[in-house]
Amino acid sequence: MDFELSDEQRLIIQGVRRFIREEIRPLEAGLDPDAYQLQARDRERLVAMVKEMGLYQMDVPVEYGGPGVDAVTRTLIAEELSQHRAGLYAPAYGVFGSGPPAQLYAGTEVQKERYLWPSIRGEKHGFFGLSEPSGGSDPARAIQTRAIRDGDEWVINGRKLWNSGADTADYGVVYVRTDPTKGRQGITAFIVDTDTPGFRVERLVQVLRAHYTTELSFTDMHVPHENILGEEGGGFALANDYLSANRIPYSAACLGVAVYAHEMAVEWAKQRVTFGEPLANRQAIQWMLVDNEIDIRTGRWAALAAADLAERHRPFRFESSMAKLLCTEGAGRVVDRCMQIFGGLGMSKDLPLERWYRELRIRRIGEGPSEVQRIVMARDILNVRSGS
Amino acid sequence: MPIRKPWLEWDDAAPTKGLPGAMGVYELADAEQRVIYIGKAGARSPFGLRGELFRHFSTPERLARENWTHPRMGEPDLPSIAGRARYYRFEVNHMYYSRWVELLTRHQEDRGTLPPANLEDPEPRPRLGRYHWKSEEATSGL
Repeated sequence: MDFELSDEQRLIIQGVRRFIREEIRPLEAGLDPDAYQLQARDRERLVAMVKEMGLYQMDVPVEYGGPGVDAVTRTLIAEELSQHRAGLYAPAYGVFGSGPPAQLYAGTEVQKERYLWPSIRGEKHGFFGLSEPSGGSDPARAIQTRAIRDGDEWVINGRKLWNSGADTADYGVVYVRTDPTKGRQGITAFIVDTDTPGFRVERLVQVLRAHYTTELSFTDMHVPHENILGEEGGGFALANDYLSANRIPYSAACLGVAVYAHEMAVEWAKQRVTFGEPLANRQAIQWMLVDNEIDIRTGRWAALAAADLAERHRPFRFESSMAKLLCTEGAGRVVDRCMQIFGGLGMSKDLPLERWYRELRIRRIGEGPSEVQRIVMARDILNVRSGS
Repeated sequence: MPIRKPWLEWDDAAPTKGLPGAMGVYELADAEQRVIYIGKAGARSPFGLRGELFRHFSTPERLARENWTHPRMGEPDLPSIAGRARYYRFEVNHMYYSRWVELLTRHQEDRGTLPPANLEDPEPRPRLGRYHWKSEEATSGL
């Protein structure tokens, strides 16, 4: 594999890097250290700049009006976008466009008209509802939310957990058991409007990161049959495709934070003098910096390798799991070492390290914990099918 | 969920050290114990909750007596707080920002609007979501 950047990729990356350093980071000085949104006027100004750069809604396919960014370039961009305080969970504060949930591209024309296009235009927002209080890592077995057919409608009852953005969303893609006898083939994806009677945000769930998540309940929630996304019983495959593809930018965002933390630590090690010498002269510090570099480079190669396969439409599930594992765990180690190098200052909210430390801990769980990534890879190595 | 603590009446003579210097969220209420402001003591709040509550309640005499360095100390308070705030309650919480958003969201869902002083507050707040149901406190008229 040759990951030498093309001239075009180099230009794009330089533009994004400059944007983050010159537009995003200075704004953060005036925000609460845990803020995850910009003020409306700043947001509008920056969205206009991104549109000018030609990178707005970059995850939207060309045929839907997106800029047509390939998977490798998208991975490189993701690494740049997260290099600021809120970058891990709010890269560039969303001014590059969040796009619709990817599963919507599998929708009918009517569904696209009602949900996909308004989402691309930024008029509607959707959430992803897979995990439940009964579990999230094994959705094929854990999903207990039931839908029962009633004429042209389905009646949905159950609960969902860890649904980020459901409280502000207009609709969600929720995964529901429509046939309890069929295992993963009994799971169906529904598009659910959040103003449907029976839909409730039970609570905002406070977690380690700056942004809460939600717990939802559905009580006798009537959803039209036409709101089934894809095929009845085809929900699990839809979710799986989404999860595999999303692991690549998810990994790269972790890397970006690691890169920024590492840069800060290198600078600090050069200027901070202890016992008459800069920290950078101490072997203990040098080894930490080397280990940081190894974690970052290993993760980057894994993420780019997965992106390269995805771009060439080759199987990439193993590689995306490996990237997710290496990047989330590696970035966590990098930030931990950087905090050690900064000493007391690294613990304070004056620096972004403590926020990244908290948020990176979640990354080892979110989008499939490290152990599940290992299960996915082991299945490939042993050539065994997962249970139905 | 709301702050599950009883309202406390501000006592200008009480020692300020009784209030925590930690990060967290707080609510101010008027004489009828109606919430008029939901605030946070974040990472940039000098003296944490103690500083924020002191800023809202303390009198000029006390300000002159104590050596506070809060950057907003002495600024005129928001119109709905000045002279109206009488009670307070707080919660020490390291996740002060998302908890603050939660309290604002719950209030907006229950009452159809934010507390009056939050509407006046120039401090930016994130977009608030919906619960799609009202809490027991709201439906019982409390």
